[in-house]
Amino acid sequence: MSEERKVKDILAERKDYERNLISSHTKKGSKKFQILMILGVLATFPLFQIAGFQFNYVLHITLYTFMYIAMASSWNILGGYTGYVSLGHNLFFCIGGYFSGMILASYGVSSFITAPAAGVVAMVAGFIVGFVTLRVRGPAFIISSIALLMMVKILFDNWDYVGGSNGISLPQMDLPAQFIKIPFYYAMMFIAIITLIASYAIRHSKIGLGLRAISQDEVKAECAGINTRFLKILAFAISAFFVGLAGAIWAEYLTYMRPNIFLIILIAANMVLMCILGGKGTVAGPVVGAILLIAFNEFFVSQFGASEINLLGTGIIMLLALIFFPNGLVGTLRKMGRLPQILDWD
Amino acid sequence: MTEFLQILIFGLVLGGVYALMASGLTLVFGVMKIINLAHPIFIIAGAYISYWLFKLFGLDPILSLPIGMIGMFCVGVVIYKLVFQREAGNPKFIEMTVLLSFALALSLDGLLGFMFSNTHRITSPSYATEAFIVGDLFVPKGQFYAGIMSILLILALWLFLRYSRIGYAIRATTQNRDAAQLLGVNVTFVSTITFGIGIALAGASGALISFIFSFFPAKHWEWIAILMSLIVLGGMGSLLGAVLGSLLLAVIAAFVGDVFGPTWSTMTFFFSLFVILLIRPQGLFGEKLE
Repeated sequence: MSEERKVKDILAERKDYERNLISSHTKKGSKKFQILMILGVLATFPLFQIAGFQFNYVLHITLYTFMYIAMASSWNILGGYTGYVSLGHNLFFCIGGYFSGMILASYGVSSFITAPAAGVVAMVAGFIVGFVTLRVRGPAFIISSIALLMMVKILFDNWDYVGGSNGISLPQMDLPAQFIKIPFYYAMMFIAIITLIASYAIRHSKIGLGLRAISQDEVKAECAGINTRFLKILAFAISAFFVGLAGAIWAEYLTYMRPNIFLIILIAANMVLMCILGGKGTVAGPVVGAILLIAFNEFFVSQFGASEINLLGTGIIMLLALIFFPNGLVGTLRKMGRLPQILDWD
Repeated sequence: MTEFLQILIFGLVLGGVYALMASGLTLVFGVMKIINLAHPIFIIAGAYISYWLFKLFGLDPILSLPIGMIGMFCVGVVIYKLVFQREAGNPKFIEMTVLLSFALALSLDGLLGFMFSNTHRITSPSYATEAFIVGDLFVPKGQFYAGIMSILLILALWLFLRYSRIGYAIRATTQNRDAAQLLGVNVTFVSTITFGIGIALAGASGALISFIFSFFPAKHWEWIAILMSLIVLGGMGSLLGAVLGSLLLAVIAAFVGDVFGPTWSTMTFFFSLFVILLIRPQGLFGEKLE
């Protein structure tokens, strides 16, 4: 080794080497670009509908997927980041939907305007419910969420003001049948995007760190000075907000409200299953899980008809996912080191 | 006064049946700390077994009870080995088992619904519609027999737990799993057997309710919350607690149903579950739920 190699040569070599390492993995900004491209393509779907292609089914499925992406992501805030599995989360779906639906039925105000208010109402309900139920942990919390769901279902079934178990019809929007799905499509896409942004923001903030500490070991987190009670209730309320938003738009989309649509446990099971399939506690997990599960569901329905086989299929997928991939698709891929960049939003 | 006694008898008899349903659940929780959300769907599976045995062979549901119990015991052992045993050392055990049993409940719900469709079924042996008339009181025969059978089965279970070697092992594992293992109890074997017994009890109670309630696959969601409220009140893991909790809540629900209407009687269970979880999560006789 010649002494004439100066220090700055060595440093320059080192810098080059490190720059090569980085650029062999990612190009700066390519991930954001890819995601924006996908969103752009999705945003053009309705234009096909306007142009006369029969895109209504595609719009419906994509809209449904957006809704579940939003709901699964917001469940993830409570269930994945904080570790409190809530099997009765579609309670807020119902509250948001009924709030907007009743205003639409009584005063004719479109749910696009009242949706944020519905979200806030759901958030307040989430605050109250969380305040009461988050005093218990683990299995007691899960059971109390199921019990709450059943109680609210009985209440709504017997409440004549909202039509009891028969429900209420809602007025449709004043658009021709071809174009009627388009505003809902954009609304759901918007809700899905803001939920994901919120989920990402929480994950990368101090709140997210606190929530993750709570999920690992709540007692130690409390000892470390994290205000667990406040953070848990905040997570509950935030996750209720987005679910309420989705519920408000969904009620008007269906033009019909019944407790059986909103308060069946299958919706909660879907939310949980999407997070488990995709990866609980990751940002991209619920998205992947939602897309996968809805694809599976559509496949089963097209092969076997809309019978109980769906339930069997969902249950078996959940069993297999829990037994063999407890970290979900995103989690397992990350552990193997093979997570594609576009899904790495953590 | 007669009306009061009448409702009390309804409540007690129903409470006996609920006690049998809850006993399997609380046993499984006590030994393995598994909250088996799939318990009610096994009850319904047992009901279907009795229904088909009655329809095809004319076997009385109470007489076909042993067949159902043995069949369900085998099913329980297989399911434990396939699904739950691998979670044994997992730090997130309780969360995983809850989700696993939830998935199991969904799958069986779908399977039963697919095989037998969602029509309401009910077995109809002759005594299902008859009643004893004792003075002014009207005691339905079917429910009375079911209540008596339930009490007998719970008594048999208690004797088994108290006086047999496996019963000792089960009680030891319930009290302290690690200590029992240190003393030489094969906890895996005990867990498997207990799960089988729990599901066998579910099958038995299914046979008994097959002529009391009309059942269909989706009814298990209703019963999950009801059974949870029963064992949470009594204390999860305690057989005595399950029996007392069931009797108490069934009687209260009967009175509530009489005063406010039948839909509200189911509400009693959910409401009490909610309240107890917040005030005293360990129930009457249970250990602290963590």
